[in-house]
Amino acid sequence: MQGCAPRPLYRTIQPSTSPPASSDKASPATTPSPLPEPPRTPLPQEAKIREQDLQTRSPITPPAAKETTKPAVVTPEVPTGPLPDDSSLLAKITPGTSPQRAASLRLTEEGRKLLEAGDASKALSRLEKTIVIDSTNPYGYFYLAKTHYRLGRYKESLSFLEVAESRLSGEPFWLAEVHALRGENFRALGMVDKAEASYAQALRLNSGNRTANDALARLQGQSEATSR
Amino acid sequence: MKRPKLRILRIILVSLLIVTSSGLVFGGWYLRRLEETVAAKFEGQKWRFPSKIYSDSHLLYVGINLRLQDLSEKLRRLGYHESQSQPKARGEYRLQPSRGLLEIYLHDFSYPAEPFKGFPVRFSLQGTVITKIENSTTGEELFSLELEPELITGLYDRVWEERRVVSLSEVPPLIVKAILAVEDERFYHHHGIDPTSVVRATWVNLRSGGVVQGGSTLTQQLMKNFFLSDERKFSRKMKEAIMALIAERKYTKDEILENYLNEIYLGQRGSQGIFGIWEASQFYFSKPLSELTVGEVALLAGLVRAPNRLSPYRSPDAATKRRNIVLVKLLDDKIITRKQYEAAMRESLPRRELIKVTNDAPYYVDYLRRELAENYSNDVLTAEGFRIFTSMDLQLQKMAEKSLAEGLKKLEAAYPALRRQGEEDNLEGAIVVLRPQTGEIKAMVGGRSYQKSQFNRVFQAKRQPGSIFKPFVYLAALMAGADGGKKFTPVTMVEDSPFKWSYDGQEWEPGNYNDEYFGTVTFRRALEKSLNSATARIARDVGIKRVRDIAHRLGVQSSLPAVPSLALGAAEVTPLEIAVAFSTLANNGVRTRPLAVKQVVDSDGGAREKRDVRVEKVLTPQIAFIMNHLLKGVFDRGTADAARRWGFTRPAAGKTGTTNDYKDAWFVGYTPDLLAVVWVGFDNKAKLGLSGAQAALPIWTEFMKLATAGTPVTDFAPVPGIKIVEIDPLSGQLATPNCSYVLREAFLERDEPTTTCPLHPGTPPASKFD
Repeated sequence: MQGCAPRPLYRTIQPSTSPPASSDKASPATTPSPLPEPPRTPLPQEAKIREQDLQTRSPITPPAAKETTKPAVVTPEVPTGPLPDDSSLLAKITPGTSPQRAASLRLTEEGRKLLEAGDASKALSRLEKTIVIDSTNPYGYFYLAKTHYRLGRYKESLSFLEVAESRLSGEPFWLAEVHALRGENFRALGMVDKAEASYAQALRLNSGNRTANDALARLQGQSEATSR
Repeated sequence: MKRPKLRILRIILVSLLIVTSSGLVFGGWYLRRLEETVAAKFEGQKWRFPSKIYSDSHLLYVGINLRLQDLSEKLRRLGYHESQSQPKARGEYRLQPSRGLLEIYLHDFSYPAEPFKGFPVRFSLQGTVITKIENSTTGEELFSLELEPELITGLYDRVWEERRVVSLSEVPPLIVKAILAVEDERFYHHHGIDPTSVVRATWVNLRSGGVVQGGSTLTQQLMKNFFLSDERKFSRKMKEAIMALIAERKYTKDEILENYLNEIYLGQRGSQGIFGIWEASQFYFSKPLSELTVGEVALLAGLVRAPNRLSPYRSPDAATKRRNIVLVKLLDDKIITRKQYEAAMRESLPRRELIKVTNDAPYYVDYLRRELAENYSNDVLTAEGFRIFTSMDLQLQKMAEKSLAEGLKKLEAAYPALRRQGEEDNLEGAIVVLRPQTGEIKAMVGGRSYQKSQFNRVFQAKRQPGSIFKPFVYLAALMAGADGGKKFTPVTMVEDSPFKWSYDGQEWEPGNYNDEYFGTVTFRRALEKSLNSATARIARDVGIKRVRDIAHRLGVQSSLPAVPSLALGAAEVTPLEIAVAFSTLANNGVRTRPLAVKQVVDSDGGAREKRDVRVEKVLTPQIAFIMNHLLKGVFDRGTADAARRWGFTRPAAGKTGTTNDYKDAWFVGYTPDLLAVVWVGFDNKAKLGLSGAQAALPIWTEFMKLATAGTPVTDFAPVPGIKIVEIDPLSGQLATPNCSYVLREAFLERDEPTTTCPLHPGTPPASKFD
C-alpha cells in the first residue's frame, strides 16, 4: 500500500496548541465572514438538518421538465447567508474527543494537505486509514470522495459522498461541501441538470459555498454564451 | 609380409587421426557450448527474484491500547530485538512498563515512492495506552506512526532466494578486500584457476584418499554456484575450472567480483535463503553496507565459508572465533590498522533470536495467488521480485487459526461421533474476518490443516447457510413499508404456527426446531429465536423475490433461486459472501468490496496495481441501524446468548445458522469494527448434528475475545431519523411502569408505537422515552 511506511504520519501539525481557524463553538460575531452580515441562519451546532429534510425543502428540478428548455441555472428559492468557515478539522479536536476520532481527524487533515499539494495517491492511502480508525468520521469519507474526484473516478467519488452525507449530522457547512462536490462530479460526468441541482442545494445550505457559487457562475456564463 | 603390417599401421594412424579429430571437434563443440552457457548467464537473467507478500502495516497513535503482549510478538516477528539499554541501532527496542516507556529504533523500509529511514521513537504509556509519541533524536512530537508490514511469505520457484543486487561501486572497498583476503587473495593475479592452490589441495586430497579440500578460486566458486552442484567429483571440478577460465577470458575481474558478491549464500531465515552481501547485511545487522563496522565486515567475510555453522545467531562462539581470524588476516595484510583491529575485536556480535519466517497463512496466500493470477503469470510472480501489500493482519490471522484448530478439537472431544478415522472426511471448518468499513480481509483460514487439504472453504465451499440467511428476510420486511408494501417494525406481531405456502402448484411447509411453535410473537422474537415458521410467513408477505434481491444487494453473488425455502437458507453460498453481506449491515448500510491485495509494486518500486477501498451505500443507515439493533438481541436473548456466558460482553450483532438437515453450522457476528464468519461441517456433507450455536459460536467467541481484547468498546452509533423507545415485548406497545419486562427498541421516526401496553395498563413516565 502506497505510503504506509512506518513513518510518522503526522509531523507538522501540533495538537491543541495550533490556533483553530474556526471551530464548532465559534460565534458568528467573531468568525470572519466572506460577505456582509447575512440573514440569521442556523449555526452548525444548532442545525438539525436531515437528508429527508433536504429533499423536502429543496426539490431537484426533474430533468424531464428541463429537456424542452435550455439549461437554466437554479438559484436558491430561500436565500441563506454564508456560514462560518468550519473547514478546520483540527479545531474539532477537543479534550472530550475520543482518541480514535482525534487520530482519524489528524490523518484526515494530513490527507487533505497531501491532496492540496497534488499528491492524490498518497492522500488516498492516508485517508483510507481514517475510516479504519473511526468509521464514523464523515470528513474522512468526504476527502476520500474529493481524492477520487481528483483522480477522475467520479462514480467512486459519488459513492463516498453518499456515505459522508449519511454520517454528517447537523453540519450544514459540510453538507453544503458534500452537495457542491457532488455537483462537481455530476458536471464531470456530463450530467449538467443534476450538477446544477446539487450546486443549488449546496447554496441553500451555505450561500457562501465557493465551489457551488463558482460553478454556477461558470454554468451561467456558458448558458449565456450559448444563447447568444 | 610387409604389406599387411603397413596396412595395419595405416589403419591405426587413420583411426588415431579420426579419434583425435573427433576429439578436437567434440572438445571444440563442448568448449563452445560451455562458453555459450557462461555468456547466457552473465548476459541474461542471472537470478529469479521471488515476489514477497506483506501484511498490512500497523498503525499506532496517541490513545490506542498497545496490547503489549501482542506488540512484543509483532516486534519479534518483524526482527526487532529487545535491548536492556536505550536502543542505539535499528531493530532494537526497550520496553519498561514500570516507567511507562517503550522505545523502538525503527527499521528502514522501502515503500512505493516513499522510502522510509528508520529513527528512534519513544512512546510514553499510561498503563498500556499511548499518551505521547516523540522522535527520540529530535524531540519532535508525533501523533501516529506505522510499524512496517510483516513479511508473510514469498512466491518462489523451488527455492526461496532472498537477495538484492548491488553494483560493485556500491560496495565499500573494505568489504571487497576482506572477502578476497579470506576467500581468494590472489584473485587479481590468476586467470580463473590458481595452480598454487590447486597443487596444495591436490596434495591434501591425495593423502586423504578423497576430495576434502578445495583450491577453488572465487571465479570457480561463482561457476559452481551458477551452474553446478555441490558434488565433490573430479568431472565437476574439471568443468568448473574450464568455465572459470572461459569467464575470466570473456569478462573483467570486476564483473566477476560483482556477480560473486551478489550470488554468494550467506545464511538462512526459515525457508528463506539469504543470498548476496546486501541481504546479509540487512539480515545480520539491519543496516546498509555503507554503515557496517570493521568487526561486522570481518564477520560477514568469515561467513562465506560456512554460513550456517558460523552464524552468529546459531553459534556465537564459532562466529566470534572466525571473525577474529579474519581480523588477524586483515591486520597482517595491512588492510586495517592496529587501532581498527583492536576496536573491532571489542565489538559485540549481533545477538538476537533467529526468527524463522513461518508466517505462511497458506489459505490466505492461496486466495491472494488466485487474485494475482488474474493479472500476472506464475513465472512473473516467482521471478520478478514484486512486493505485494495486502490487508492481512497477521495477529488476527494467527488468532483465527488458533481458534479454529482448537475449537474443532474441542468439538471432537465433546462429541466423539464427530471423530472420523480417515483423513479425507475429518470435521472441517473455516473462518474469515473482515473490517466492515473498508472490506479488508484481515484473516482467512480455509480449513483445519493446509497440509491435508488445500480446499479453501472460505471462498470455494458453497454450502447452505440455513438460518444465517434469515436476516435478509427481516431486512426485506423492514424495507417493504417504504416501498409501499406491508409495513413491518420490530414489534409487528407475527404468527408462529404450522402453515403451508403454496407456490407454482406446489406446497411447502416449514417446520420449527423440535416442532415447537410459539403462537403470536414479535418480529424481534421471531428473529432472535430463529423461528422458521414465523420467518417463512414474513417472507411470504414480503415476497421471496424481494428477499433474494436484498441478499444480492448486500453482496451475495451466488445464484439464489426465488423459491420459498430460500427464506430459510436453502440456497448455497460461501462464507466469504456471508461476510461481505453482513459487513454491509455492520457498516451502516454501506457495502464494500472484499479487499485482500491492496498494492503490487515491482522491483523498481513502481506501482503495478493499486486496489482502493470501494464503497456503495445500499441501505439507509436507519434501516441498517434497526437491523443491527435487532441482531444485537441474538446475543442478549437469542440463540447466541451463550457467548455472553463465555465472556464476550461487548456490543455486537450476530446470527446463528443451522441447516435443516444439520449438515452445516454457521455463525456470523460483528462489532462496528470487526466481523467474523465461522462455518463448521464435513466436506462430504455428512450430518454434523449440531446447531450453529453449538458448533460455530464457540469458535467465533474464542476468536473475538482474543481479537478485541484491549481495543476500545464501540457500539453501533445511533443515526438521525431513529427513535428509541421502551416497549413491553409481549404486547409490542409502549411500556408502562407496570410492565415487568421492558426492551429498548429502535424504530424509524414516526413508526414507533403510540399506544401503551394493554397487558399492563399505566401511564408511561416521560423520562422513559428517548
